[in-house]
Amino acid sequence: AQSVKISGVITEKATGQAIPGVSVSVKGGSNGTQTNADGKFSLSANENDILRIFSIGYNAQEIKITSGNTTLNIILEESQNALSEVVVTALNIPKEKKSLGYAVQELKSKDIAEAREVNLVNALAGKIAGVQVTNSQGDMGSSRIIIRGETSISGNNQPLFIIDGVPVDNTQTLGNSAISATSASRDYANPISDINPDDIESMSVLKGPNAAALYGSRAAAGVVLITTKKGKGSQGLGISVTSNTTFSSLLILPDYQNSYGQGANGEFSYKDGAGGGLNDGVDESWGPRLDGRLIPQFNSNGVAVPFVAHPDNVKSYFNTGRTLNNGIAFSGSNEKFDYRLSYNNMDQKGVIPNSSQSKNSFLFNSSYKITPKLTLNTYANYVNSSADNIPGSGGKRSTSTMLQFTWFGRQVDVTQLKSLYENGQNINWNNSYYSNPYFVAYENTVGQVRNRLIGSAELNYKIIDGLSANFRTGNDNYTDRRKTKIAYGTNGTPFGSYEEDAYTFNENNTEARLDYTKKLNKDFSLDVLLGGNMRTSTLENNDQLASKLAVAGLYTLSNSRDPLISYNYYTKQKVYSAFSSAQLSFRNYAYLNLTARNDWSSTLPVENRSYFYPSVNGSLILTEAFDIKSDALTFAKLRGGWSKVGKDATPYQLMNTYGFIAPFDGNPQQYANPVDLNANLKPETTKSTEAGFELGFFKNRLRFDASVYNTNSINQILSLDVSPTTGYSSKLVNGGTINNKGVELQLGITPIKTTNFTWDINTNFSSNKSRVKSLYGDIQSYVLGSDGTVQILAAVGQPYGTIFGTAYERNASGQILVDADGTPVISASKKVLGKYTPNWLGGITNSFTYKRINLSVLVDAHVGGKIYSGTNNTGIYTGVLASTLPGRGTENGGLSYYFPGNDNTARAVQIAAGSAAPGGAKVYDDGMVFNGVLADGTANSRIISASQYYKSTTNADESTVYSATYVKLREIKLGYTLPQQWIKSVGLQSATVSVVGRNLLIIHKEVPNIDPETAFNTGNGQGLEDLTLPGVRNIGFNINLKF
Amino acid sequence: CKKSLDESNINPNASENAQPDYLLTAAIKANADTYWGTANNLGASLLFVQHIAKIQYTDPDRYIFTNASFSDLWSVGYAKGIINLNQIIKLADAASNPNYKGVALVLRSWIFTTLTDQYGDIPYTQAGNIDEYLLPKYDAQRDVYLGILADLKTAQDALDPSGKAIAGDIIYANSIASWKKFANSLRLRVALRIADREPELARQTIAAVAAEGTGYISANSETAQLAYKASPNQNPISNLFDTRPDEYRVSKTLIDQLTALNDPRLAIYAQKAVATQTYTGAANGLSANLPGKDQVSKLGTYFIAPTAPAVIISYAEVLFDRAEAAARGLSGENAATLYSQAVEASLTQYGVSTADITAYKASAAVQYNSANYKKSIGDQKWIALYGQGLEAWTEWRRLDYPQLSPAVAGALNGAIPVRYIYPGTEQSLNPNGYKAAVAHQGADALTTKLWFDVN
Repeated sequence: AQSVKISGVITEKATGQAIPGVSVSVKGGSNGTQTNADGKFSLSANENDILRIFSIGYNAQEIKITSGNTTLNIILEESQNALSEVVVTALNIPKEKKSLGYAVQELKSKDIAEAREVNLVNALAGKIAGVQVTNSQGDMGSSRIIIRGETSISGNNQPLFIIDGVPVDNTQTLGNSAISATSASRDYANPISDINPDDIESMSVLKGPNAAALYGSRAAAGVVLITTKKGKGSQGLGISVTSNTTFSSLLILPDYQNSYGQGANGEFSYKDGAGGGLNDGVDESWGPRLDGRLIPQFNSNGVAVPFVAHPDNVKSYFNTGRTLNNGIAFSGSNEKFDYRLSYNNMDQKGVIPNSSQSKNSFLFNSSYKITPKLTLNTYANYVNSSADNIPGSGGKRSTSTMLQFTWFGRQVDVTQLKSLYENGQNINWNNSYYSNPYFVAYENTVGQVRNRLIGSAELNYKIIDGLSANFRTGNDNYTDRRKTKIAYGTNGTPFGSYEEDAYTFNENNTEARLDYTKKLNKDFSLDVLLGGNMRTSTLENNDQLASKLAVAGLYTLSNSRDPLISYNYYTKQKVYSAFSSAQLSFRNYAYLNLTARNDWSSTLPVENRSYFYPSVNGSLILTEAFDIKSDALTFAKLRGGWSKVGKDATPYQLMNTYGFIAPFDGNPQQYANPVDLNANLKPETTKSTEAGFELGFFKNRLRFDASVYNTNSINQILSLDVSPTTGYSSKLVNGGTINNKGVELQLGITPIKTTNFTWDINTNFSSNKSRVKSLYGDIQSYVLGSDGTVQILAAVGQPYGTIFGTAYERNASGQILVDADGTPVISASKKVLGKYTPNWLGGITNSFTYKRINLSVLVDAHVGGKIYSGTNNTGIYTGVLASTLPGRGTENGGLSYYFPGNDNTARAVQIAAGSAAPGGAKVYDDGMVFNGVLADGTANSRIISASQYYKSTTNADESTVYSATYVKLREIKLGYTLPQQWIKSVGLQSATVSVVGRNLLIIHKEVPNIDPETAFNTGNGQGLEDLTLPGVRNIGFNINLKF
Repeated sequence: CKKSLDESNINPNASENAQPDYLLTAAIKANADTYWGTANNLGASLLFVQHIAKIQYTDPDRYIFTNASFSDLWSVGYAKGIINLNQIIKLADAASNPNYKGVALVLRSWIFTTLTDQYGDIPYTQAGNIDEYLLPKYDAQRDVYLGILADLKTAQDALDPSGKAIAGDIIYANSIASWKKFANSLRLRVALRIADREPELARQTIAAVAAEGTGYISANSETAQLAYKASPNQNPISNLFDTRPDEYRVSKTLIDQLTALNDPRLAIYAQKAVATQTYTGAANGLSANLPGKDQVSKLGTYFIAPTAPAVIISYAEVLFDRAEAAARGLSGENAATLYSQAVEASLTQYGVSTADITAYKASAAVQYNSANYKKSIGDQKWIALYGQGLEAWTEWRRLDYPQLSPAVAGALNGAIPVRYIYPGTEQSLNPNGYKAAVAHQGADALTTKLWFDVN
């Protein structure tokens, strides 16, 4: 064949602008180049060669070379989750999506950067089928991400994160509750939130083990591949500037009652707030009516003042949060070298008084062509995140925010508490259990500083045509230091305390790889890859607590009354791997992909240390194979695959050990480790089958993608709870099978597409059903998490995440049994109260583009599943919630009653409202009768007080388990790109402004008083809410300029 | 490569070997903390037996509990007690040091007694042996007590003051002679536990102790107790009062009784109420009209001091036990004399002056009544066991004196709890064992009487 010189220019369809950095190569050969800053390229090829043109984010094209067509004008169309787009796959290899036998979905830079979530994981919520994101509580903290359900009973179910080929850690370290409950009760952000969204070019979600087999052990729960922006093909000055300002306010607060204040049995009078007055040690709102009667209160120095409601007393405690993000990036490129350097500063002031965090991030990317055959790529990302104070969550008195407001007096004026604190008086409405909430916020702080360096160096050598070698070493290292201060005079911790907790994490992955690509004949071509990886990770923790300070206000470990309490550990894990993959393509419509990997892990016993796992998948493009060319059916693809992934243990799980605790009077103390370890552990195995199809109709105006999958995880490594009577709290075993089946659908519609106006609808739907098939021997349940008497279980025969708790005792016809004292009977054994996992998830994005304006609206839904609400349980017990109003007083339907002889331990007697009781006994008007039956089947008629009524219901966990269904207006983005003629004169290449709202509205929910999307942490014990911080609504303003 | 993988999995954070002295200290400390701590003492048994009343959040004082309420004694007893003591026994056998074995058996017997006293049927023969029994069976309470008596005999035979020394003993500072007395005193306690059911076995046990010759704890200085130190090794009750000073006050029942007897221990057991400067007790189990914290008496400073001891068996208790054994005809001793010595030992334990002791013992209400030994011994033992909730409650269940009225707003239809509920986790973790125990013993309720509790 004759060699011809080809040249051309590549432009974007939507804007007409040149696209730099597009890869142009001869199919099956090594001949390739990239477009320059002006979108131009040139290369030599033979006649009849196929030229492949692709760039991430655009639909790929193939053009046949003919001698009459050597100057090409190529127009690329931006891909819309569509069919011929190029996506990043395992080991960072870009591939045409059509060649893949599994589902993969991608998010683009603007989707990530504009939304400006403080936690990167939140950007994925609602956008990708099969991905479940649980947003942080409050406006800081952790977010949890799960892909295709939970496949590991006790292990980590979150996906592996990879940045430019380097695995990065996303393990939430929670602090050691055995050392200090206060530092452990904070919701520390998961480490992936360190990453600056502006640096991200794309995020690719590989959804199951099928997609991720090449990453091995940790990819069984899926992989999120992050590709950072590069300098390649940058234009002009190569400077881009971004600025964002986001305001946050509370999305929801419980609905409080404002009719009754603090106290018990309708009585209250403040003396010292600790039981010195009349019920003034009581932190509940079963007190007198808020009718302005005169009662001494916390801020009145013993003087009787009007007892009135302060309806906004919780709301006014919170501030409007604001987050500033400012970043600048420089990039440049020439034939041999390109780079991008970015800096971003984030500064957040939280909605909770005195909570704040900030982040400085530097990223440097470069690529240097040392010789035409040898390229060096480097990547270095330094992030310094620091928080002066992370807000307290959960039920710890010295630090919690919502605990105090749920055990509260509804008459309390929080602004008065603020002035008392500001005047240096640590006086509170209740001094039995709490300190002034402002004192808590300003004096009892948890600071966190994380310094992180992620880096990699990669050498790529083109040995001969079609064969290249690649060597990369990547490292993720961070130190995370936390300082927890509890001030002198804090209720429950009179001497205060000080804790320093430090973590050092390091992971190194060193990988060598050979890539070979060969056109076998005119129909077949082959891509083969062979490689090895060495992974070493270490985690070190050093935790020291001065549990009582010697003097006030000095936070240092040596300022201690007691010997320090110390704890430290060090873990190290090594995994060696060999892997290979091959792709065989037939013409351009049939693809067969094979992968194989063998790991050798240090955490398993010698005889089980080595484990092998293969995968196979294929795809067939029907429209090409059968040459269907019609306007109605544009594209049709079938795909399917099978894979297996092995998983090792965490370090040091083989030999039983004895730990030490601080000595008693000079005598060291040693005890048997509470977990009975296992010298015969085997690797866990996950096997998954998936199949799917993709269809495009009417020139892709209608796009449809469907997947079904079936995943079985067997031989799970479980630390199974055992009866303490065995001498241990748990035993490590291989056992347990969990099955996940699911379906994922994506539908894209472009109802309108004209020159100026486009309307796109993208919807996704996914449903996952899990079933725990077996555990170990006769063991029927495994505890994933608990809160009080409620447990979250993996129970045999049940879906993963069963909620198990106390319930009302009922008779055969379902009526609740009531005791002789008029309160419901709580069943002796616990019952299944639901499951936390949703039935289905869905999201719908409507995007409108009119000339330079675009608007997109995302609504997402989480349907099914249950949640136990500790806020409701506590708030009903304490009488602060509006839901405790029915029955409280005649106006709320309360019945009138009296105690004969005013003996309130006697049985109450009902009388007509307004009438006087015999013997002048006091008449109460908050009587209620529990709707149930006595043991003999007769209806309960015993009248009890409203407080007794409501308190008795809270003993049944069942009473505060609710549907977790919600529909949220997750995101609205409105953007405007300034016209070129306006900005050219000031030297700008492009300028966009946008307004983004996140978590704007809960359109529908079924649980009262709380946001059902809530989590304590990123672990498996979900479905529990307990005094978690209310979620926030964010509204942000963005400016992006490119010079 | 292989070597590197092997080395990476050696745990640098803990030892694969245990040392008996270190295990011993930890087992004593953990179990004393639980026995004396809030969950079992202040928050449960001291309320049931009306030494103490709760004045805030009174549900426990009204007998309102869940099946998670009593998991502490269970899990600490087995997983921090039995398992570590079993390991000491193994190490003692391997190192041929029978004194460690004897000490471990005595402590293990004390823990098993505490467990069966509260729950009834418990895993005993198959407990603490996970390699063989992942789901240990529950043994009947009778079999547990009999097993304990056998264990204590083995312990007694193993303990030899002239044998190999031990270390790590924070009860008796490694004095084997004292452990022999502790073992015998525990045998006497268990003998009386079964006395209503198995009088002949009780008699044989007491005779065997007499024949063995070491004797019982015979002075207040020999009392088996853990003397706490300054923080962080402070007394758990003291620790609670440091952080939550206003939840518990002395019970009205106790203060009224001490006042009626003009008992010199009143000023030690209680402080004067802040508001009234009188000794005023709080009624047990109110649901409304709770007294303010300043209206009622706080526990005596002796009991809320950081160094207050956790008493396991006092000299006074041993004397009361011997008096009862005599009164039951299980021994040849003189009940009245021993009773009088027991009252005196208790007063001496708290440093009451000789003059006051003489006056107190002379009062008619304190005199021994041979016609109703249960009342005399029960009433005085109840006072002597102040603060030692589990033992006081068990002895009240067994002797049925003093006659207590249930909590004012009690939730058990006029009953006082007579046992602990099994931890709810047993229902899921050992369902067959749990069901068998319930089938054998009766409903898993606070009101189900245990085997030893005949009336």
